[in-house]
Amino acid sequence: MKTVIPDRLQEFFIGFTDEFEVKVPVLTTEGERVFASPFDGPPALSGGALAAKPTAVFFPQQDGVISIGSEGLLHASSAKPLFVAGFTPRDLLCLRFIDRFFAEGYRDDIYFSRRKGALIAAVSGFSGASGGFVPLSGGACDLEFVFDGAVWIVVPYSEPGKRIAARIPDDAADDALAALLEKSGGCVDEDAAIIQAASKLLLNEMVPDRFWDSVAESCIQCTGCNLVCPTCTCFGVQDWRYPDRVERSRMWDSCQLEGFMREASGHNPLGTEGLRTRRRIHHKLAADRTKWGEISCFLCGRCDAACPTGIGIVAVSRMIVERFS
Amino acid sequence: MARTTSPAEELLYNPCEAEIISVADLTPDEKLFSLRMTDNRPLGHLPGQFVQLSIPGYTEAPISVASSPTRTGFFDLAIRRAGTLTAEMHRKVPGDTVGIRGPFGSSFDLTAFQGKDLLLISGGCGLAPLRSLIQYCQDCRDEFARVAVIYGARNPDALLFKNDLAEWRNSPAFDCSVTVDNVSGGDCFYGSVGLLPALIPPLEVIPKNTIAVVVGPPPMYRAVIEELKKKGMASSRILLSLERQMRCGVGKCGHCTIEHLYCCTDGPVFRLDQVEGVRGAI
Amino acid sequence: MKRTFTVCPYCGTGCMFYLLSDGNRLVGVEPSRNHPVSRGGLCVKGWNAFSFVGHPDRLTVPLVRKDGELVPVSWDEALARVVSGLRSVQGRYGKDSIMFASSAKATNEENFLLMKLARRVFGTNNIDHCARLCHSSTVVGLAETFGSGAMTNSIDCIDKADLIFVIGSNTTEQHPLIGTRIINAAKRGAKLIVADNRVIRLARHADSHLRHKNGSDVALLSGMMQVIISEGLENRAFIDSRTEGYHEFAESVREWTPERAASFTGLSAAEISDAARQYAAAGSAMIFYSMGITQHTHGVDNVRCIANLAMLTGNVGREGTGVNPLRGQNNVQGGCDMGALPDLYSGYQKVADPSVRLKFEKAWGGALLPATPGLPLTLAMNAAARGDLKGMFIMGENPLISDPDQAHVLAALQSLELLVVQDIFLTETAQLADVVLPAACFAEKDGSFTNTERRIQLLKKAVEPPGEAKADWEIICGVAAAAGFYGMKYENTSGIMAEIASLTPIYAGVSHRRLPLAGLQWPCTDADHPGTPILHRERFSRGLGKFVPVTYRPPAETPDDAYPFVLTTGRTYFHWHTGSMTRRTHLLDREENRAFVEMNPDDATKLGIKGGERAVVSSRRGEITVFTKLTDVVPPGVLFMPFHFAEGAANALTNNELDPESHIPEFKVSAVRVRRAG
Repeated sequence: MKTVIPDRLQEFFIGFTDEFEVKVPVLTTEGERVFASPFDGPPALSGGALAAKPTAVFFPQQDGVISIGSEGLLHASSAKPLFVAGFTPRDLLCLRFIDRFFAEGYRDDIYFSRRKGALIAAVSGFSGASGGFVPLSGGACDLEFVFDGAVWIVVPYSEPGKRIAARIPDDAADDALAALLEKSGGCVDEDAAIIQAASKLLLNEMVPDRFWDSVAESCIQCTGCNLVCPTCTCFGVQDWRYPDRVERSRMWDSCQLEGFMREASGHNPLGTEGLRTRRRIHHKLAADRTKWGEISCFLCGRCDAACPTGIGIVAVSRMIVERFS
Repeated sequence: MARTTSPAEELLYNPCEAEIISVADLTPDEKLFSLRMTDNRPLGHLPGQFVQLSIPGYTEAPISVASSPTRTGFFDLAIRRAGTLTAEMHRKVPGDTVGIRGPFGSSFDLTAFQGKDLLLISGGCGLAPLRSLIQYCQDCRDEFARVAVIYGARNPDALLFKNDLAEWRNSPAFDCSVTVDNVSGGDCFYGSVGLLPALIPPLEVIPKNTIAVVVGPPPMYRAVIEELKKKGMASSRILLSLERQMRCGVGKCGHCTIEHLYCCTDGPVFRLDQVEGVRGAI
Repeated sequence: MKRTFTVCPYCGTGCMFYLLSDGNRLVGVEPSRNHPVSRGGLCVKGWNAFSFVGHPDRLTVPLVRKDGELVPVSWDEALARVVSGLRSVQGRYGKDSIMFASSAKATNEENFLLMKLARRVFGTNNIDHCARLCHSSTVVGLAETFGSGAMTNSIDCIDKADLIFVIGSNTTEQHPLIGTRIINAAKRGAKLIVADNRVIRLARHADSHLRHKNGSDVALLSGMMQVIISEGLENRAFIDSRTEGYHEFAESVREWTPERAASFTGLSAAEISDAARQYAAAGSAMIFYSMGITQHTHGVDNVRCIANLAMLTGNVGREGTGVNPLRGQNNVQGGCDMGALPDLYSGYQKVADPSVRLKFEKAWGGALLPATPGLPLTLAMNAAARGDLKGMFIMGENPLISDPDQAHVLAALQSLELLVVQDIFLTETAQLADVVLPAACFAEKDGSFTNTERRIQLLKKAVEPPGEAKADWEIICGVAAAAGFYGMKYENTSGIMAEIASLTPIYAGVSHRRLPLAGLQWPCTDADHPGTPILHRERFSRGLGKFVPVTYRPPAETPDDAYPFVLTTGRTYFHWHTGSMTRRTHLLDREENRAFVEMNPDDATKLGIKGGERAVVSSRRGEITVFTKLTDVVPPGVLFMPFHFAEGAANALTNNELDPESHIPEFKVSAVRVRRAG
């Protein structure tokens, strides 16, 4: 079994920076954990989900689409593939969901320009907020860093993941990992039952519009719920005119904004606050379930943490279940 | 723009250049543009599909193709001046180039139309997407049984494709009726005055052998559908083309979703039974 | 990817966030969970604050007007032109014939330097900034009653308050994260009273919503205080031990029975009594107010009433209490603190005080500093219109859109012999300038901003400015050098802060080194001082709190047959002031991309006006065409218009009548009429 002690993590990740653009959770001087280069500081793998959405690595808030200049359409040059360590197992589910979203039908080449060839490492074990236990992902990534309380057990899954792990000497018996796997099997998330129940109520149209209107009273349209959500993929497009070129870029958009669906004619399918609040929850719990066969909220907790008035998806789902079951 | 694109990857968001061949006024607010791809390839669309019209500096807008693929060497876009992009388009003249992405979206299932009576109903600018189908019917007349074109607008000024309407009215191939909500004193107008749905009850419809296509502004759908249902038309035989604010055209940007449906990829052409129970669709 | 922890450029709430850059340009924002104000959240403007920075419209080179056209020139030429222009005007018309307009968008360091440039280099106290238009009434009113014209308490106090009284503040739109704290307080059971005749979002969470008539605040507050006194609900112990002037004050409100107040406010007597009882009964009650209180010809009186009400019930100097003016701009508190005011040096030290002048003279190289207070911004504009002021140096303000009576402002600016504008975009005002100096924006420079709760926070550079643009402080130092003054050379902005600290007692303990993460709340009087979250704890800044009697005065212009509507102006959630940044931010401009007027549907029906169509709104000053928005948010007889839109400038209509003490214009009440366009 391969392990890395916490003190050696920085050195470990720096070891891959020639080959990859490495991104790991790093503690800033303000005490925030953010994705950064291992050169920026010692990795802070523990602490649970990062505040920002990890999928921003592949789908950043603002991104170039095309540059239309005197020489026609311009495209930029290549960079190293990404090695991103720090996805929680729930984040991996989000990533899998949007990988599929961006691939199916028309393939979004902008997303895959970063995503393709990227190595994904999950973080689990006793690595949650305040040392809480995070059940192992057991796959769906290239490798996983599992904290047993003292050392990081490195579990490779894919071939590229194995090549990473191969750089670590074998230094421990496999028992520790087996125990952590067993512990993972026994983990039950109460919130999962809540959003499943809320999803069912929404699909059965048991949630009246006056409920959405009442929730919307507290929404100030900050758009944070969408912007921190790893499975939110909506974007807007802008053109900037320079003397010699036009740069077209796309940026995260939000269905909580009145202008999101407003058409040039003035017709707006999401014309009320209540409809927009409904869309935010309904899309994840009902519409995506119909389209993709699964709820697209994987309980990462970010919108509930970022919402300034406490109406994130789990909070609202709980209200739905309490009132309409 | 720092991003990597492997040569193998198709560049989804890059428009292709098209040249404006001609521009004609349709109404005070609408113009008809004929274009061709500058590399002379056919657009490759089917009736009912749309393109993303791209003007550098003004982003993009979804525009239905208003001509039939049977008419080659060009394609038509009827564009109402509504926002900054369409206003800029209205300033364009023949010889100017614009960007085109697409064609995108679902089309009318022409094989299912074979041998059927067609009721082609449109209101306002809904005639633009339907014109593609009407022209197709004109060019492949033998593929269909009876074809009725029913069109309504607010007033005579707002009628699109007045020349086409005149041609269709005089054509033995079609049964073409036109109505306007109001006329005022000076209008020269030869059709009926009244709301579009009122044109449906007098029609002779054989529900099992008829396909109805309805395209128009949102309020029109409910009234027209109600009349069609009274005629015994099943939802699976009624087709709609829905308009939403498609920004990408390829099911990614999220601006055109109707519950679980993406208007740009699942639509814009839907069978009524696909959208009947879907909130906000019609 | 580079991350820079810095301060949001928009409102006075003072959220901090990370700006993300790809090493070259900004690509996003990440909120901070640990920051005491942001707590992991941001509003929509904050989330998009990176967006305008790289906009192609940014100014990149200095411009000088030649043959009527603004043409690019070198920095040396531009600065020489500025100095020779200002000197020439002063030489012909006197030292005080020029005006410096500082900026609540610029840092503390930059405000301090412009103040120094005006006083030390150009020998005039004619310096002011847009606080004149927003909270000058607060500075005057609270300085008189409490001794300090700033928010008494901290944002965190909202979590502790039993009752929150919001008057004249659309908090969820103008200070969104503070607004959310108030919503959360209401949800946990704190009482919420909202006094505003628009149905703002907070009103939907309120226990009482008082829709009093525009400009009747003195009547409403006096009525409440009359009820408190007549029912014996006042806090005797507090009044006796902490205040003075009570009896004269109590006498002055005696006539304000709730019935009388009702007749002035349009409320019922019961609504007024009930609000008074709730406020007086709360163990701890916070008052929040903003422009709805200050922007009146009786703005100072409004503020006095609020201070009186808080003292009457002992709601000052404790957690969860206080008088809390919400400062609009991200650094309007700092602009005032730094002495970008005609009568005050930094830290509210009086220009008229010889010992203060002596201190600054010593520090700044001996020359005598001017002793007479200068012109407030609004009076300077009037002076220019009269031909008494001939030169203006405007840093980061756009008065052609933001100041009252646009025709008057245009005439004033056009009459100048020299107009210098230093800004990040070619604003409507800059288009009139003789010299335009391209400035770095918030993301391109270091410094500090002071938020509404007096929290001094560190601004950090995330990307390089475009082209030859420079930080405002560098430009100011360049002007000083071009003028032959060598006492304004700084390595960096922390050096400027050291000078500020050495001359400003309330900032004496502040240094950039001490500011990371959460900053410091002034007063911070020495290097070990932890800062002051709550003012007036044991004693008021002036010793005893002073009750000041107030006499009701109606607004300067009230509706009549010719102009039957009350127009009240303000801002919306998605835009910022004159829109130079937000209208260049795709998502924000998409949300609101045209000038509009809010109108009650009943009024619209009477006038035959439909929603979404164009209407002509006119006042005695001017006429504009805007789109209508029919909504019950405004009561019949009242129109609301934001001033963000140059193409439908609300300030073409507003009334340039000023409060006699603070010289704030009455943006909140003017008389207009409206008709369908075309």
